[in-house]
Amino acid sequence: MQRKLISGIAGILIALFIGAIIMIAQGFNPLTTYGALFNYSLIGLFPLATTLRNSVPLILTGLSASVAFASGPVNLGQPGQLLMGALFATIGGLYLDLPPVLMIPLLLLLAMIGGAMWSGLAALMRRWFNMDEFITTLMLNMIADFLTYWAISYPIFDKTAFSPMTPQISTNGWLPVIGEFNTNVIVMLVAFGVIYFVFSRWTAGYEWRITGQNSIFARLGGCKIDKNYVTVMLVTGALAGLAGGLVVMAGPHRFLKGLGANYAWDGVMIAVVANNGLIGTLLYGLFFSSLQTGALGMELITAVPSEFIQVLQAVIVLVVVAGRGTLDILINKTISRRKAREHAT
Amino acid sequence: MTKPIIEMKNIIKVFPPNVVALDSVSADFMQGEIHAIVGENGAGKSTLMKVLYGLEHANSGEIFFQEVKIENKNAGEAIARGIGMVHQEILLIPEYTVWENIILGEEPTGLFGKIDQHAAREQVKSRIDEFQFNLDPDSKVEDISVAARQKVEILKLLYRNVSVLILDEPTAVLTPQEIPQLFLELRRLAKNGKTILFISHHLEEVLELSDRITVMRKGAKIATVDAANTSKDSLAQMMVGREVLFSSQRIEQIPGEVVFNTENLSFRDANLRIRLENVSLSVRAGEIVGIAGVEGNGQLELVNCMMGMSKPFQGKIVVNNCDLTHAEILERRRFISFVSQDRSKMGASIKDSILDNVRMTHHRLNPKFTHWKGLLLNDVYARKFTAQIEKAFAVVMGSADNEFRSLSGGNQQKVILGRELLLDTPFILLDQPTRGLDVGSIEYVHETILKMRGQNRAILLISADLEELFRIADRILVIFRGKIVADLPVAQTNIEQIGYLMLEGREKINAAKTD
Amino acid sequence: MNILTGLINGMISGATPILLAALGGTFTYYAGIFNIAMEGMMLSGAFFAVLGSYYFNSWPMGILCAILGSLFMALIFILFAVKLKTDEFVTGIALNLFAVGSTTYLLRQIFDVKGAFSKPGIVPIPRLNIPLINKIPFLGDILSGQNMIIYLTILLTILAAYMIFKTRFGLRLRAAGYNAACLDSSGVSTDRVRTWSLILCGVFCGLAGAFLSLGYVTLFSENMSAGRGWISLAAVILVNGNPWGIALISLIFGFTDGFGLLLQQYLPSQFTSMVPYVATLIALYFYSVKARNKKA
Repeated sequence: MQRKLISGIAGILIALFIGAIIMIAQGFNPLTTYGALFNYSLIGLFPLATTLRNSVPLILTGLSASVAFASGPVNLGQPGQLLMGALFATIGGLYLDLPPVLMIPLLLLLAMIGGAMWSGLAALMRRWFNMDEFITTLMLNMIADFLTYWAISYPIFDKTAFSPMTPQISTNGWLPVIGEFNTNVIVMLVAFGVIYFVFSRWTAGYEWRITGQNSIFARLGGCKIDKNYVTVMLVTGALAGLAGGLVVMAGPHRFLKGLGANYAWDGVMIAVVANNGLIGTLLYGLFFSSLQTGALGMELITAVPSEFIQVLQAVIVLVVVAGRGTLDILINKTISRRKAREHAT
Repeated sequence: MTKPIIEMKNIIKVFPPNVVALDSVSADFMQGEIHAIVGENGAGKSTLMKVLYGLEHANSGEIFFQEVKIENKNAGEAIARGIGMVHQEILLIPEYTVWENIILGEEPTGLFGKIDQHAAREQVKSRIDEFQFNLDPDSKVEDISVAARQKVEILKLLYRNVSVLILDEPTAVLTPQEIPQLFLELRRLAKNGKTILFISHHLEEVLELSDRITVMRKGAKIATVDAANTSKDSLAQMMVGREVLFSSQRIEQIPGEVVFNTENLSFRDANLRIRLENVSLSVRAGEIVGIAGVEGNGQLELVNCMMGMSKPFQGKIVVNNCDLTHAEILERRRFISFVSQDRSKMGASIKDSILDNVRMTHHRLNPKFTHWKGLLLNDVYARKFTAQIEKAFAVVMGSADNEFRSLSGGNQQKVILGRELLLDTPFILLDQPTRGLDVGSIEYVHETILKMRGQNRAILLISADLEELFRIADRILVIFRGKIVADLPVAQTNIEQIGYLMLEGREKINAAKTD
Repeated sequence: MNILTGLINGMISGATPILLAALGGTFTYYAGIFNIAMEGMMLSGAFFAVLGSYYFNSWPMGILCAILGSLFMALIFILFAVKLKTDEFVTGIALNLFAVGSTTYLLRQIFDVKGAFSKPGIVPIPRLNIPLINKIPFLGDILSGQNMIIYLTILLTILAAYMIFKTRFGLRLRAAGYNAACLDSSGVSTDRVRTWSLILCGVFCGLAGAFLSLGYVTLFSENMSAGRGWISLAAVILVNGNPWGIALISLIFGFTDGFGLLLQQYLPSQFTSMVPYVATLIALYFYSVKARNKKA
């Protein structure tokens, strides 16, 4: 645990340092840039609230990818599942009108069903035809992209708008705001808590974990790995779908074109840096959210374009992941060298 | 046998983080000698040779080759100097032909890097003829026998004109009948001036073949002796540092009812080749039935069919009168305890905690391991259970939360045995349960198996180690090309006979003729 | 007739980037690398092609820059996956993210635009008119007048097949994938072979990118590789790496691409754009069912 923390923090620092070098090479001042970046994401109630709000889709799609990868299925379909979740929640919000106490849980449920349906499609293709979910989920992402684009361009198009988008959903489906804080964070924390509990304490979660590490062992041990596979795909799809629903319900309250683009690979990225650990997913999700949230402020204060953050994120992923392995090897090598010297004398 | 061709001085190798594999080992090897390196598993024999061959890098120490100090950074450098190694697990590419495998890395080429197939095949052919190896250069490696593959490996080195040949347990993959042929070839090579370094733990063959013997124990060299001036007993004592039990005390016992049996079990693989043909066998309560056979003759398929990993196309599997032929794996596990041959692939999840490894299968079969009708894990009970295994099976483990891979091989196997045997099933399936274990652990496993026999469990033991079968089994079946070709009580057979059956699939008809 | 030649030409130009990237991917496939970075390499190639062509006012410089840009990605892959032994899948994911991020960033930083960059100053890769052949009715419209990269691609397909199956490099390349330990023990460094396979992959993906931004269209837009790298990965897997199979399957994808355009008369464009991805799923279906039947 401690080693993970050290290698994570060291990795981030090195990545920030590499980012600083890139900035210096382009004639920017890294200190003011980083200062502005974190100033606009962490300092003060409003920036902090924005960072928290923005972290919700990151953490939920990250959780989806982490749980999937740690349990075996290579579900790379978070972008598509998020879009389908958002679409389902939007449709529900457009055609239903119930009091918020019923409306909000119902829309959240619809979002989860939308995501689970899309991942379930990939799961069925695997179960029935043995098609690898690694490719099917990727292709379903593209298909979901065009399908939702079509949906918001024709059947549920807002006729008053100039670009493809839906009308706003019923206000009863809007997530309440407490002061600066959006309640989507609460929904996310509940989802995180449930998943964490299931994954670490439930018999099912135990079987998922072991299957992810060694599926032959799990199968020989009597775990029903086919059934578990489908469950994991559905659960992780529902998580990504929930992320999509929350994006609509907390933010623009409608489905805009390019809604999911921002979160396209973020979930997988976060799972990868967190090494599929659930707590790590939560922490890295918050960290990446602070980067993305601060990006616009950074652009405002300094001349560094906000797109720089995308480069920085990729550098962080590479350095942290490579660093994790390298640090272990380095530590082990040092120990073994010391031991060899002891034996030589 | 005049001057040393290779001298290794004070070699130290520590595997990260802190396993001392070689503790200041010095050894020398003479030109043209057959030099055996013996020791238990984990004594450092292979590591010493891998250092020489450049596959492992020593932390300190020096190597002299023909009195010049050398340092092999990789296998390529070693080969260029004339040192070659044949690995225990044969390192060839099954999809390539014999000649392609031999030339790989030293390819004769023409324009634009095109391989000169004609020249390559001719060169390979001339080597085959020169050393009188009976091989077809155009056959694919996946189609030839294990013994032939070993020849390909040796040829691969001869093609590179090596003067020193290292062989890592070359006899482990061969049947007793194939070994004399290999020895003949090795002697011929030594006569031609090649130096042969030969890793083994079979003392009899070491004494038969080698000129000198270096004994290793726990990463240190114990001694180098002339084969002519030593004996099996003294070598064994040097190897293990104590008296070895070469036989266990088995108590005669009359077996009970048939617990496990298969009827006409047959299995076809993906290419519709028959891998198991009408296998009918039965195991009684309180009986250990051994299955002998060269690896790859259907043992794996048999295990897979029994455990529900593969579907037989015909036949029945019955335990305690329950037909399990089409049962789900979990259902089978109520009746079958299973110890697999590969701990890290099938027997455990090595990166998970010991606790999580111990409760596998129990978590579905024993309600005490869960709360809320199986929904929630019961950690308290699982910990109690782990402690029980730790005590009953004399496991050395730190905390139950440590990773499974932090345990030594012997302790890992004890934990797996504990988990499986405490399932309290009537039938126990053991697939090479002592593979890769040290002598002490092997003894422990054998005692445990005999104890289970004493408790009237029915035990099926698949093993490639004939000594093991003769030590503990009551009855030995021989599997050959997917068929059971013999069923003999141990008292009425011997290693020679079983070895012949394993190789030929039939009884020896005339001893004089086949010699 | 015109519709048919249009469809065939659409098929050829749709197939070209997929074929080039897949040929690059097949080198790494045979070398035993799980390389999912073709998407990023192609995208980087497409960006630097436009950059080179625009600044030097010359398409050969565009191609050169495309190859260098894609090679840069390949070198990062080599550094992490081969040298530092980082997980290949993870490296690939990070590299694809890096490609999207850095091209978007550079687009903003260098050209000061968001979304897409298109200016008359970008010199496209010319088409090649072959005398005599272009006079043949019907066939002339297909065999002649194609983009130069397309002719190069045909040569490269033959070259790739030759390299993989006939040469010393090919024997070692495939050995690295079949059994790396065996190759190392034969005195050839697997890491070196894998490094070369990635360099080749970089070159091929760079060409694919150059075709996208200087052949198919003459502009660069954010994330313009649009999943083609993934489709080419699927193509490699579907035919187990065989270059001729890849060529065939790329043509099929190219056909669906052109077919989708044709369908636009009847269906909303969003649905016709889905066609290549649906086609990939269908191809995967046949492959998987066949593979399973073989197993059972």
